[in-house]
Amino acid sequence: MAGARRRLLSWFARRPAAGAWALLGPGLAWLTLFFAVPLAVLFGYSLMHRGTYGGVAPGFTLEHYRRFLDPLYLVVAGRTLWIALATTALCLLLGYPVAYAIARAGRWRNALLLLVVLPFWTSFLVRTYAMIVLLRDSGVINAVLLGLGLTSAPLDLLYTPGAVLAGLVYGYLPFMILPIYASLERLDLALLDAAEALGARAPARFWRVTLPLSLPGVAAGSLLVFIPALGAFLTPDLLGGAKTMMLGNLVQNQFGAARDWPFGAAISFALMGVVFVALLVWLRVRDAGEAA
Amino acid sequence: MFPDVPGSTQPRPPATAISRRDFVRATAAAGAAAGLAPALAGCDRSPRLNLYIWSDYLAPDTVPGFERETGIHVTVDTFESNEELAAKLLAGAQGYDVVVPSAYVLPGLVSQGLLLPIPSGSLARLDNIAPVFRGGAANPAPGFAVPYHWGISGIAWRKDKIPVLPATWGVFLDPAHAGPMTMMDDGREVLGAMLRLRGHSINSTEPAELEQARVDALAARPNLRAYVSAPVKGQLVSGDVWIAQLWNGDAAQARQEQADIAWLAPAEGAAIWTDFLAIPANAPNVREALAFIDHILRPDVDAAIATATGYGSCNAAATALLADPVPDPTPEEMERLEYMHDLGQATELFDRIWTEIKAG
Amino acid sequence: MTRRLPRALVHLVGAIFVCLHLPVAVLVLYSFNASRYAAGWSGVTLEWYRRLLDRPDILRALRLSLEVASLSTILATLLGTLVALGLARGRFRGRSVTEGGLYLPIVTPEIIVGVAMLILFAALRVPLGVGTIVVAHVAFNIPFVAVVVLARLRGMDRSLEEAALVLGADEATAFRRVTLPLLAPGVLAGALLAFTLSLDDFVITFFVSGPGSTTLPVLVYSMVRRGIEPTINAVSAVLVFVTTLTIVAAERLAARRA
Repeated sequence: MAGARRRLLSWFARRPAAGAWALLGPGLAWLTLFFAVPLAVLFGYSLMHRGTYGGVAPGFTLEHYRRFLDPLYLVVAGRTLWIALATTALCLLLGYPVAYAIARAGRWRNALLLLVVLPFWTSFLVRTYAMIVLLRDSGVINAVLLGLGLTSAPLDLLYTPGAVLAGLVYGYLPFMILPIYASLERLDLALLDAAEALGARAPARFWRVTLPLSLPGVAAGSLLVFIPALGAFLTPDLLGGAKTMMLGNLVQNQFGAARDWPFGAAISFALMGVVFVALLVWLRVRDAGEAA
Repeated sequence: MFPDVPGSTQPRPPATAISRRDFVRATAAAGAAAGLAPALAGCDRSPRLNLYIWSDYLAPDTVPGFERETGIHVTVDTFESNEELAAKLLAGAQGYDVVVPSAYVLPGLVSQGLLLPIPSGSLARLDNIAPVFRGGAANPAPGFAVPYHWGISGIAWRKDKIPVLPATWGVFLDPAHAGPMTMMDDGREVLGAMLRLRGHSINSTEPAELEQARVDALAARPNLRAYVSAPVKGQLVSGDVWIAQLWNGDAAQARQEQADIAWLAPAEGAAIWTDFLAIPANAPNVREALAFIDHILRPDVDAAIATATGYGSCNAAATALLADPVPDPTPEEMERLEYMHDLGQATELFDRIWTEIKAG
Repeated sequence: MTRRLPRALVHLVGAIFVCLHLPVAVLVLYSFNASRYAAGWSGVTLEWYRRLLDRPDILRALRLSLEVASLSTILATLLGTLVALGLARGRFRGRSVTEGGLYLPIVTPEIIVGVAMLILFAALRVPLGVGTIVVAHVAFNIPFVAVVVLARLRGMDRSLEEAALVLGADEATAFRRVTLPLLAPGVLAGALLAFTLSLDDFVITFFVSGPGSTTLPVLVYSMVRRGIEPTINAVSAVLVFVTTLTIVAAERLAARRA
């Protein structure tokens, strides 16, 4: 038995690519069958004509992709990009300290991690309605501000782009905290001690020791916030009063009232294409940097 | 290495972390297996029915009463919007026996062959339906669907904040009311209101008329806090919103909590909608589905539902049983009310305009 | 002294935690509010908790959500960790493309994924139900888990593993005894993320669920038209309460064992 295991392992050891594919196999197979294949069908849809009542009608056409180049839709895309970037930046600013504190929290780490995700085990809609209760004119925040005399009239907090941003940052914060925590957790305090002993003060210790170690987590967290934020639709609807239209709303509409599945698919694939290309470039640069 | 320091981040001994994780996983797997077992065991031959309906659209005893009388086991699932129901049926979902679409999606569902024609004579109580809902514009797919409940889109407002509201869609264009005012998050409703304001049909596809509606809707946008549909009820009750485009049934519900909420249908006219009971073409339990629809057509059953939901019932016999019913629209009122039709290919133009309005 | 965290940092993190839980506090508070439409405060009541007992559909949906989340988290964590290992340790052509492709499920709008999967299941004549939901959840969770575990793997010091190999362990033992424990916090973080995502998903779940398999988020989402009854606040509050108790109990256990 042990001999067979050794032979198997050495077979894989001689073929690093085969070993990698054995690990990747199950996961990729699942994704290929249940994600790539269905999506290929929908890609086909994006090249077909719109069915009158939804669905598709036969015939090849590029009109949906062309239609996306209309300034009306590009404005929506631009705004989405901007909001997603702002969300990522704010999540990074707020999430990094939290991840750092949890990583240094010793035996409270797991409890704190659970406390971070616990709010997100409540229903998203109820949580968002709770934010509405907090932000609206007669809501908690305004009541506190008025009561403390800091303002003389209710502030317009709800149904603004700021509310959308707040909602998105709130919703995606765990996506930033968890990966940064994962890579910060292996921070060996001995390194920080050594740096201190060598004369580095706190800011230098952070920039030179902690931050570089956590970069994979920062990169992962940023991607895990930015990319899904591009597709957000419910938060702009509920907290923005449907006045801040993002790409997610546009796509949702096409499968909804507009009943234009091919156009919705085209928008999505255009978005996916752009993100994929940008990612590839970034990954190649990163891998080249690592190899160097 | 640093034994005197709590919270040291040395690699922890694997025992605690892994064993707790294993424990959690084992419990979860056991729990999942225990949960799935009854589901697998439940593949018996007793008659069953799968109902796919809007949330809170039944009375508490509707389903239990039906189950008691017929012995048919009913599973109730809920959906959120007509479009999602239509998309799901169109993409091939199977297993539902009775669905509850609104009028304007019926032609699409029928033309795609997604609904089963109801065999004539199979519903004994079909005559209970009020004549005004039986045919014509009210029922775009007769023979495929049975009218259920109806409502009108109008304007709800706080009469303690605004004692008298002009009965016109023009209030949304009036800067005097700007601020605590909302319209629905629905392109057909918003543009429909603007079309009626200028005397056009809500189903118009004339480019000139739609252009006017577009201009009006864009003019209204700065006056509005938000585009919200039924969820605006909470804000109306709390007073954050004073004027809202809202369905009559929702206004009635909100009024239960805040008596100062009033509702009107503007003089220019408004959209009336009906929801229907229908059977998908691939329904596995057709006989049970027909039995259920016939049960709903009973006056006492539908009266209970109307009381619970607050919407008007299409069932004349049921309305007659109610103490304080939402009265069926009179012929004069029907002159001003219009059913929404599916716009077919013109939907694309409509959606472009709506996108423009929402994108600002 | 690098041992203690700076006071300012602790205050900041504490404030962020408070903000994270503020909406939860509000929703728990409103589960006792007599107002049906979450307007102002109209009095304390336990009515919504009482109604929870009359709503077997809500409790059933909650149970289903928890089962689906647990099952899909286990599977996704397993498959996602393997994928991360393959990507981090493997040397093969097309590695960047594979990794880039892994991010695609994250960027795809949920409605596209939902409709696409439904079309697939319908074409394969697979009955919609708990199975299809789990399959869908695993599919969208694998990339999230993989990305988090990758973040942990990247730059992880291999000297400990190499030391184990030098000391005579074979690859499998070195993996089990050295790599896996080092990986554990990353895997846990990924699992937490997957569980959270699965518990709260409704767009994809809506499309791939069948009769009798309505999860809690789908049920809640369908209540929007009527206005979400505070009964949902009650069930969320119960979930939060039970989970918090479990965390506290687990910490007590761990402390006693340590």
